[in-house]
Amino acid sequence: MADTAAAPVGGAGGAARRRSNRQRKAGARAARRWHWRRWLAIAALGAAYVVSFRLTDVDLARLVKGLSTMAEWAGRAWPPTAREFPVILQRTGETVAIALIGTTLAAVIALVFCVPAARNLTPSWLVRLPARLVLNTLRGVDSFVFALLFVAAVGLGPFAGMLGIALHTSGSIGKLFAEAIEGLPPGPLEAAELTGASRLKTVSYALLPDALPSLASVGLYMFEFNIRSSIVLGVVGAGGIGQQLRNSIELLDFPRLLTIVLVILVLVTAVDQLSGRLRQALA
Amino acid sequence: MSPVALEVDGLTHRYGVRPVLDDVSFEVAAGEVVAIVGPSGAGKTTLFRAVTQLVRADAGRVVLGGRELSALAGGELRQARRDIGLIFQQFNLVRRLSALDNVVAGRLAELPTWRVLVRRPGPTVRAEALECLSRVGLADHAGSRADRLSGGQQQRVAIARALAQRTRVVLADEPVSSLDPESSASVLAALASVARAEGIAVLCNLHQVDLISGFADRVIGLRDGRVVVDVETAAFTDDHRALVYRPAPVGALR
Ligand SMILES: Nc1ncnc2c1ncn2[C@@H]1O[C@H](COP(=O)(O)OP(=O)(O)OP(=O)(O)O)[C@@H](O)[C@H]1O
Ligand SMILES: [Mg+2]
Repeated sequence: MADTAAAPVGGAGGAARRRSNRQRKAGARAARRWHWRRWLAIAALGAAYVVSFRLTDVDLARLVKGLSTMAEWAGRAWPPTAREFPVILQRTGETVAIALIGTTLAAVIALVFCVPAARNLTPSWLVRLPARLVLNTLRGVDSFVFALLFVAAVGLGPFAGMLGIALHTSGSIGKLFAEAIEGLPPGPLEAAELTGASRLKTVSYALLPDALPSLASVGLYMFEFNIRSSIVLGVVGAGGIGQQLRNSIELLDFPRLLTIVLVILVLVTAVDQLSGRLRQALA
Repeated sequence: MSPVALEVDGLTHRYGVRPVLDDVSFEVAAGEVVAIVGPSGAGKTTLFRAVTQLVRADAGRVVLGGRELSALAGGELRQARRDIGLIFQQFNLVRRLSALDNVVAGRLAELPTWRVLVRRPGPTVRAEALECLSRVGLADHAGSRADRLSGGQQQRVAIARALAQRTRVVLADEPVSSLDPESSASVLAALASVARAEGIAVLCNLHQVDLISGFADRVIGLRDGRVVVDVETAAFTDDHRALVYRPAPVGALR
C-alpha cells in the first residue's frame, strides 16, 4: 500500500526534476543565442555609423571656416529692421492661412477614412486594410512631395502648398482619429445599435460626441505641426513668411532676415502655447 | 392572464463541449417583472445575449410578440430587435450628451437621419423623451450631462431610454450591481413601476437575491445553465435559494 502510494509521488518528483533540467538547458541555449545576436547587432550598428559618416560628408575643418562667415553675417544682422514690418505680417498671415485651411481639409478627409480604418467600427479587415493602406500612403508621402506634384496642376504658390499639407496631414490625422475612436468604450455605441438604427446614425449620435475632444485635440496638434510645415513650404515657393525668409537670404539683407526669424519664433511659440492650452482644456 | 410578451423555448447553447444554457424555457407576460438569479457563471448573461440574438443559440426558440426572433437574420432581425429595450450594468450612456439627448437615443431608428446628424429631434420626440425622464423622476436633470449624474441617476436615464424606445420587452443584465443599496432599490422601483404602468415585460438579472422582494413578480433561478427554480416571488423560500446557490457537490468537477 505504502509502495503504491509512494510511486506516483516519486514519479511526480522525477517529472518535475526532468522538467526543470529541460528548462535550464533551454535557458542556456537561449543565453548563447542572445550573445552572438547582440554582437551581431553591435557590429551592424557600427558599420551603419561608419558608412553614414562618409555619406553625410562630415568635415569639421570646413565647418570651422564657415562659422566665421556666419558670425560676420550675424554681426551685420543687428539691429533687426522694422522697415517692412507690415509686409512681413501679411506674409505671416498667409503662412497661418495655409496651415489652417490645409489642416481643416485634412481633418475632413480623415473623418471619412477613419471610420473604415477603426477596428471597433469596421470589424471586417477586407474593408479596414484598404482604408489603412490609403491613410498610410498619404502619411508616408511628405507635404513637400505632394506640393511639388500639385505645382504641376495649380502652379507655384500658396494653393499648391495648402493642398500638399492637406493630403499628407489627412493620413496622419486619419490614423490618429482611428486610434482615438478605438480607445473609446464600446458600450454606448452597442446600446445605440441595438435600437436598430443605421450605422451613420449610431456613430454620429452615440460615438462622435464622446470622441470629439480627442478628435479636436488631434486637429490642434496637427495645426501646430502644419504651421512649421507651412513655413518650410514657403521657403521652397509656396509663399508666406518662408518665401520672405528665402528672399532675404538671397539679397543678403540680414537685418530683415533677423526680423523674419524673430517673427517666426513668436508665431510658432504663440501657436504652440495657444493650442496646448486648448488641448488641455479639452482633455 | 395578460398576453405572453416573450417566450423562450428549449434554449440550449454550448461553449466548447460545456452547455452554458441547457434547455431553458419560460414565458414572460406583458407587465410582468421577472428576476433571474443564479451564481456567477450560471449563464445569465449568455441567456440575455441569446434572447437578443447577439449569441445564436445551438437550439431552441425565442418568440417576441408572436415573431420568432431566432428564425430572423440581417435587416429583419435588426428590425425585430427594436422591440427589445436593453439596460446594461455599465449604463452605456453617451457621456458628453445630456440626459435628455440620451433618452432621445431610444428613438434613433425612426428619427430622420438629418435630425440625428444635427441632434435636433424635433418638439414631439423631445417632449416624449422628457415625459420618459419624468417617469423615472429625473425631469429636473434633463439638461445635465450624463457623466455628471450619479450612478443611480445614470441608470434611471438608461431606463428612460428603454422607455422611449417604446418596446414591449425590456431586458436588464445586472442593472444595479455597480450601485449602492439605496440607489439600487430606487432604480429597481423605477423599473418595476414603469413596467407595470406600461404593460412592459421585464426580465432582470440580479446578483443580490434580497432585492427581489417588492421588485419582481416572479423569480427564475438558473444554475449551470438550467432552470432550477421558477416561482412567484412570494413563494421563493430559503430552500429555493439553496437550490440555486448551494455549493457544487464534491466530485462534480468539470
Ligand atoms: N464567449 C464565450 N466563450 C466561451 N465561454 C463563455 C463565453 N461567454 C461565457 N462563457 C462561459 O459561459 C458560462 C456562463 O457565462 P455567463 O456570462 O452567461 O454567466 P453569468 O451567469 O452571467 O455570470 P456572472 O454572474 O458572473 O455575470 C461561464 O462559465 C463563462 O465562462
Ligand atoms: Mg453576467
